[in-house]
Amino acid sequence: MWSSCWTYSLNLSSVPGDGDGQSRWCLSQVKGAVDDDVAEADIISAVEFNHSGELLATGDRGGRIVIFQQEQESKNLPQCRAEYNVYSTFQSHEPEFDYLKSLEIEEKINKIRWLPQKNAAHFLLSTNDKTIKLWKISERDKRPEGYNLKEEDGRYRHPSSLTTLRVPVFQPMDLMVEASPRRVYANAHTYHINSISVNSDNETYLSADDLRINLWHLDFTDRSFNIVDIKPANMEELTEVITASEFHPLQCNTFVYGSSKGSVRLCDMRASALCDQHSKLFEEPEDPSTRSFFSEIISSISDVKFSHSGRYMMTRDYLTLKIWDLHMESRPVETYQVHGYLRSKLCSLYENDCIFDKFECCWRGDDSEVMTGSYNNFFRMFNRDAQRDSTLEASWENGSPGCPLKTWRVCTGSRRKRNEIGVDCLDFSRKILYTSWHPQDNIVALATVNNLYIFQEKPN
Amino acid sequence: MLGKGLKRKLEQEDENDVMKMSSHQEASPTCYWLQRQTVLNLSLLKLHSRPVHSDPGLARRVLITNTLRHIQDELRGEGIPVPQSFPCGGTPLGVVDGYRERSAGCGVESHSEGSLTPVSRLEEDKHLLLCLSPSVTRQQPPSSIIKDSFTSALAEIEDLCPTVGITTLFSTETGRSLTSDPNFDESRYTDSDLSEMNSSLDSVSLVSDPAPSAFGHTPSLLADFSLDDFLFTELDSLLFDSTPCSSPLSTSSGASKVVSMVTDDFVKTLAGYGNGGTSQSTLQSNQTFKLDLNELDHIMEVLVGS
Repeated sequence: MWSSCWTYSLNLSSVPGDGDGQSRWCLSQVKGAVDDDVAEADIISAVEFNHSGELLATGDRGGRIVIFQQEQESKNLPQCRAEYNVYSTFQSHEPEFDYLKSLEIEEKINKIRWLPQKNAAHFLLSTNDKTIKLWKISERDKRPEGYNLKEEDGRYRHPSSLTTLRVPVFQPMDLMVEASPRRVYANAHTYHINSISVNSDNETYLSADDLRINLWHLDFTDRSFNIVDIKPANMEELTEVITASEFHPLQCNTFVYGSSKGSVRLCDMRASALCDQHSKLFEEPEDPSTRSFFSEIISSISDVKFSHSGRYMMTRDYLTLKIWDLHMESRPVETYQVHGYLRSKLCSLYENDCIFDKFECCWRGDDSEVMTGSYNNFFRMFNRDAQRDSTLEASWENGSPGCPLKTWRVCTGSRRKRNEIGVDCLDFSRKILYTSWHPQDNIVALATVNNLYIFQEKPN
Repeated sequence: MLGKGLKRKLEQEDENDVMKMSSHQEASPTCYWLQRQTVLNLSLLKLHSRPVHSDPGLARRVLITNTLRHIQDELRGEGIPVPQSFPCGGTPLGVVDGYRERSAGCGVESHSEGSLTPVSRLEEDKHLLLCLSPSVTRQQPPSSIIKDSFTSALAEIEDLCPTVGITTLFSTETGRSLTSDPNFDESRYTDSDLSEMNSSLDSVSLVSDPAPSAFGHTPSLLADFSLDDFLFTELDSLLFDSTPCSSPLSTSSGASKVVSMVTDDFVKTLAGYGNGGTSQSTLQSNQTFKLDLNELDHIMEVLVGS
């Protein structure tokens, strides 16, 4: 086992890229308004495929959820699989006001997680800073007709006008998709919720805020159990917060949580009721040669995701993506530089607050590739098997749908070749924080500020 | 090629060309010192202002505080005297959930090995969980914490001379609880405003040692405190209270009766209350407040025994 562990680090000078600067990825669709005027409420804050990949949910800062469905007819045509159309739109969360603390509770959707499908309806969990909701999305394509006491338009008939009785029958109607809130899990978090994760037992889920992680049963909204609490007795001693958390995809007793200090703790719920003692601590010793004032900030874990196999775990910090083998805590088995050229710009990024951006990351269905977002609407793909990476841009101006994307290269020198851009020309207001990969196909969805981009990989 | 719209270039350092980022910070000691100073200033600035996006998260504050502390430790290690504006020891988190959680004890100790702890037992005071809960339990906070908080809070007020009205508010309110005035009617204070007061005090209290003037605070936080306090206590009691304990602390103009808020409107309104409708007295009392600040500080130091 140990002989197969290695650390791979990509730096700019040895980027192989894909052949002639073209990738196999093509833009499939862009959703959302394409003008420059972006309303705050329209900014996308969550993107998530469901377990079959048929549905794609997005949440925005206005508390709305928009669900897209894969185009049914062309689902089986290889070149059209990545066509998604609006399926349902609903308001998930509303802004609230905490009167006791005089604080506004934002309606922004922080995370969306789908439940595995058990029947015809679809269920998802959505959360803002304080409250988690379980939504049922169901279709209605039939309605009963032929009531005895009601007219078709709903007016009641006078009983004396009845001469015969009939049995109402279901008649087809235009498809209607309804979203209804089935559970509201509230009042369990003092701090802002940053993660939710459904357990593999399909009965429980966890929700994590800055200092605590709570365990819920999906059926019960009036009780929640605390499983991790890192709040110190004296808040002045607080130096570390929880930043992300996830259940293991296969073991229902295992979960991990990442911290602002760059460590990830794996906990086993069988060990004790309160999992403050971790079972494993994944932490890479700091490289003294790269130490700076911002070392801690850039080491803060912004996302943690288990591989589909359950054997590996990926963590995203500000500059890198790390793949960890769950059996080895001392260091990651793979490290990928997402945008290492920013290392010399950290002071400026600290000034404009970009250094606090929380990027998500995701695995391909077969765990052979990983992806994460960057600035300038770039996103990075890392092929673990081939040990190759590419930088692609999410831009609706770039080529037509179906046309392969060009790969980019960020350089620090003054020479500019085609498809190269200088570090100083990057647009830090255009960032890709939220990404999701289709569970089976090579389709990725990612969000720029207010647009949803769907890309598809063309087979060779 | 990169999409239409204005490209916002990476912001360059304004200070001087020495700050052009180089990855070799050790190359020039001056460069390092300058960068450290820049980071220090930025950190202080960030802790006192709201971020660009609306969410002033705990995580962000913790990270900035840790950065600040790291620099402070470095400066101390180099023998450079740390300016008073540094936090010593404590982290200036100013967590709004406030003081009550501390006195209630951390919920952790109520966990038993074998059973899960319901979240409802994490905070003994349910109102922390329920935003709109009416029930509030009573607790008497240990005075030591109030003293520490108060000293540093008072020190802070020195920095906030323009918002002098709040000084009086501090003196009237905290003065009462400190000296256990017989007239101090606990029922006048619900626990919530005590905790609000102390939470705000804690949030401004950045040092555990009674060093004056931890780094200054944005008026808005104090304004919040004042507003809450007003919402919970009877206006009359604040304005017209003339308890013996408050007299040594109040300004000579008897301006303890006039409690001013940061907002001008409120100032005028209250001035109207306390002075029979004339708004001019506000100005006079403000001036008197300024003069009496030092007096107040001295008195507080004597009382608290710094």
